[in-house]
Formats: sequence, structure tokens, C-alpha cells
Amino acid sequence: MAEKIEVSGFRHFFQTEGGPVQATGTIDLSIRAGEFVTLVGPSGCGKTTLLKAIAGFITPSEGSIVCDGKPVKGPGRDRGVVFQELAILPWRTVRRNIAHGLEIARVPRVQRDATVTRLVGLMGLVGFEDRYPHELSGGMRQRVAVARTWAADPEIILMDEPFAAVDAMTRLTLQEELGRLCVATRKTVFFITHSVEEAVFLADRVLVMTKRPGTIKAVLDVPRREAGGRDWDSFTSDPVMQKIAGEVMHLVHAERV
Amino acid sequence: MMHRLIWRCLPAVPAVIALLAWWAWFAIDRPPPSVMPSATDVVVTMWQLAFGGRLAGDILASLARLLSGVGLGIVTGMIAGFVAGLNRPVASFLNPLVVFFNAISGIVWLPLVIGWLGIGSALAIFLIWNTVFFIVFQNTVLGVQLVAEVLELSVRSLGGGRWETIRSVTLPGALPYILSGIRSGLGFGWRALIAAELVGATTGLGQLIFSGAEYHRADIIVGGCLLIGAIAMAMDRWLLLPIERRTVMRWGLVTSGRGR
Repeated sequence: MAEKIEVSGFRHFFQTEGGPVQATGTIDLSIRAGEFVTLVGPSGCGKTTLLKAIAGFITPSEGSIVCDGKPVKGPGRDRGVVFQELAILPWRTVRRNIAHGLEIARVPRVQRDATVTRLVGLMGLVGFEDRYPHELSGGMRQRVAVARTWAADPEIILMDEPFAAVDAMTRLTLQEELGRLCVATRKTVFFITHSVEEAVFLADRVLVMTKRPGTIKAVLDVPRREAGGRDWDSFTSDPVMQKIAGEVMHLVHAERV
Repeated sequence: MMHRLIWRCLPAVPAVIALLAWWAWFAIDRPPPSVMPSATDVVVTMWQLAFGGRLAGDILASLARLLSGVGLGIVTGMIAGFVAGLNRPVASFLNPLVVFFNAISGIVWLPLVIGWLGIGSALAIFLIWNTVFFIVFQNTVLGVQLVAEVLELSVRSLGGGRWETIRSVTLPGALPYILSGIRSGLGFGWRALIAAELVGATTGLGQLIFSGAEYHRADIIVGGCLLIGAIAMAMDRWLLLPIERRTVMRWGLVTSGRGR
């Protein structure tokens, strides 16, 4: 069984003072080990709810979520999360933020330092190791967030619009870097976005969601990226990619809210 | 360079202005010494008290009570604040009690507590604790509740348990509010201390001021007040500010440079 994440019959309601509100329709989903799956959908469709349930932050109203053959009961270090808003700790330096997961796992100092040095290099943070987050730009902070999640070495990584808050130029760089990082480390990634281009650029498989209460309305395979990862120059000039992006755009467009 | 020097001297300016105004008042108006002593009288009296008087002993007695009472108030206030801030049921259980006891001023406790603890340090420490606890408690609860949930979630998905989350997220995250509570707590602690010492002690700055009042010695009263203020300022500057510089300011949670 190569299924890394198995979501079956998932449905979620939020309890509000005005009664239960349906956040998602019924969702079935499975992600294989090493696969990069992106999920696009209109805002409010329930994509973040689904991610939070896989992360173990909320308990599904209906259905089950199984990761690595084990039912999800709460958050755990097997599932790293990169959040949309700034979630690195302001009171830890870049180095100590990245090392945090390893500290929790009681990894020896030498090994911790080696991992931090490697990720600092991969994410272009050299020279900023001893800075605090408030001294960094938004793009840099999000690099730290990505590096911190990777440093803890979870097999599954969940990303909730991680680049939504950074400027467009930086976003292009971060997307390329994420692509390279994934090729280098072979993680199973579930990535939420509302950007069609981003979804197609990064994914092995793109899922399109309907508007609230969201269900998965289409699944598109994207031909496997080459060993060196993807870059935006070849992506924009590749007719196959542009055709897929066009299809996804068409599907998403129909779900305007 | 010059610019930096001016900034460093800025906090001293109000004190200098107040001293000049005091001096000018005496030069122009000459009020009777029992109403308001002259600056010279105060300095001379304090000098005499310092060398050959009881001043050092009073200061030490007061500081010991203040630091014990405030320390106890900070520790208990933070612990209770964390427990209440992290548990909604505990918070709703404690809240009415806190509101009730917070409304009862320290002075009301005095006659009762003199009966329980007698005259002396224990009484002063109790009254200071009774003041500081509520301020630190309420600030801690607010601080704990305002820590961004996403930070806690992020640490839990790194494998952090409840204790790790409290240690590495809640505590530093609530620190700006806790420190603000400690700062107000110290100020109100002084007030409680002097109130307690006026009636419930035989030593201390409160007793010094009380004795000044008995003999109509305004110079002692004013001198005592100046001393209290000066010690409070020194503690804020050399105890609290360095802690803030190394923590909440260093982390960018509060800024010191706004408007500069």
C-alpha cells in the first residue's frame, strides 16, 4: 500500500450559534508517497478545513483520515505544516526556529547544526542565521517557515497557501525553490492554493474543488517534473503545461463565488 | 554623537524642571516650612538621616518587604494567570472571586490582618501581595489568551506536546503583557508597602514618613517621598528595562523607537 494519505467520506460542519454550518461536501482523496498534490478552489470552499483535518487540528464531523495506515488523532511530527500567516516564533532566531523540531525530538546538537546549515543553504538564508524574524522581509520569513518544517523531516508536508502573503516577484523565486527542495528530499506534499498557475507549476496532480460546501470536481495529472525541478521560463513556454493550466483555469472559473 | 547624548539625557529633563520650579517657588513666595520645605532643608535632613540616622535601615526594611511581596505576587499571579488563561472552566470559576477580592482595597484588610499576622513584615508583604497578584494575574490571563493560535499549532505539528507549547510559545508570547503587569504591580506595590508601614510596622520608609507627620516635619515627608520615587525609577531603569531590552524589544514584539 503506497497510499500516504487516505481521506474517505470526509465531511465537516462548524458549530456556530446559529446552528451547524456545512464547511465541505463529501470528500474522498488519496495521495501516494512522494507525490506533490495541489488543491485549487474558490475562497471559502473548505480547502483549509480539509488541510486542518489532515494535520489533526480539527476532528472531522464525518469520515476518516488515515496517514501511513494510522488514523489521524491529532497533530504529530509525521505531518509538517506550513501556514499561510506568519507562524514562526518571533522570539527565536532563524537558526533556533529551524532547529525547533529537532530540539523537540532531542536530536544531538551536532546533528541539529548540520541540518540547519544544510537548510539555510538550500533556502538562501545564509548570513541571516542569528537574526530574529522581525528583522527579515516577508519572503525571508516564509523561507524560514519552510526550512523549519523540512528540518523536522516529516514524511508528509501540508502547505496552506504558504506564499499568498509575499510579493509576486518573491513568490516566483520561492515556488522554484520549493520545487527544487521537493526533488531533493522526496516528500509527500499536499499544497493548497487559489492560484491556478501555482497549482499546475508545482504539482504532480492538481485537484479542483467546487465552491462551498466544496467537493473535488476534477483531478488533472501533470507530467512529472525533470530531475532539476521546474522553472518559470520553461513552464511558460511549455505548451503541455499551458494547456493544463488553461483547463484548470476553465474549471476554477466556473466556480466563481 | 551629540544627538545620542541628548537622547540619553532626555529622561532627566522633567526632574531638573521640577527642581527649578521648586527652587523658584521658594525664591518668589517663601511658604512656611510646615507647608512645604525648601529643597535645601530636604537635602540637609536626608543627609543627616543617612549618616547617623535610621535611613539605611528603613530603606533596607522597606526594600526587603517590597521585593518579597512583589516577588510572591508575580509568581502566584503568573501561575494562576497561566492556569486560568489556558483553561476556560478554571477561568470562569476564578473570575468572580478575582473581581470580588480585587475590589476590596488593601486598607480594608489592615485591621483584620493585624489580628492575624501582627505588626511587622508579614503584614506588609501580605498587603503588597494582595495588590500585585491581581494586576499580574489579569495581565497574564490576557497575554496568554492573545497568543496567536497558529504559533501553538505550528509547534504541535513539529511534535511539541502541551508543556513544550507552553514553554516555547505561550510564555514568551504573553511576556509583553506579563511585564506590563509587573511594571504596574511594582508601582502599586510601593503604595501598598507605605500604607502598610504607616500603621503596621516599626521600621521602613512608611514609618519614617509617619514620624515626620507626627512632628510636623514636612522636610522628612517630602524627603521620604523623593526617596521612594527615586528607588522606583532606579528599579524600573536598571531592573525592568534591561529585561525588556533583552526580550520583548529584541524580539520586535514591542518597539522602543517609534516616533524617533
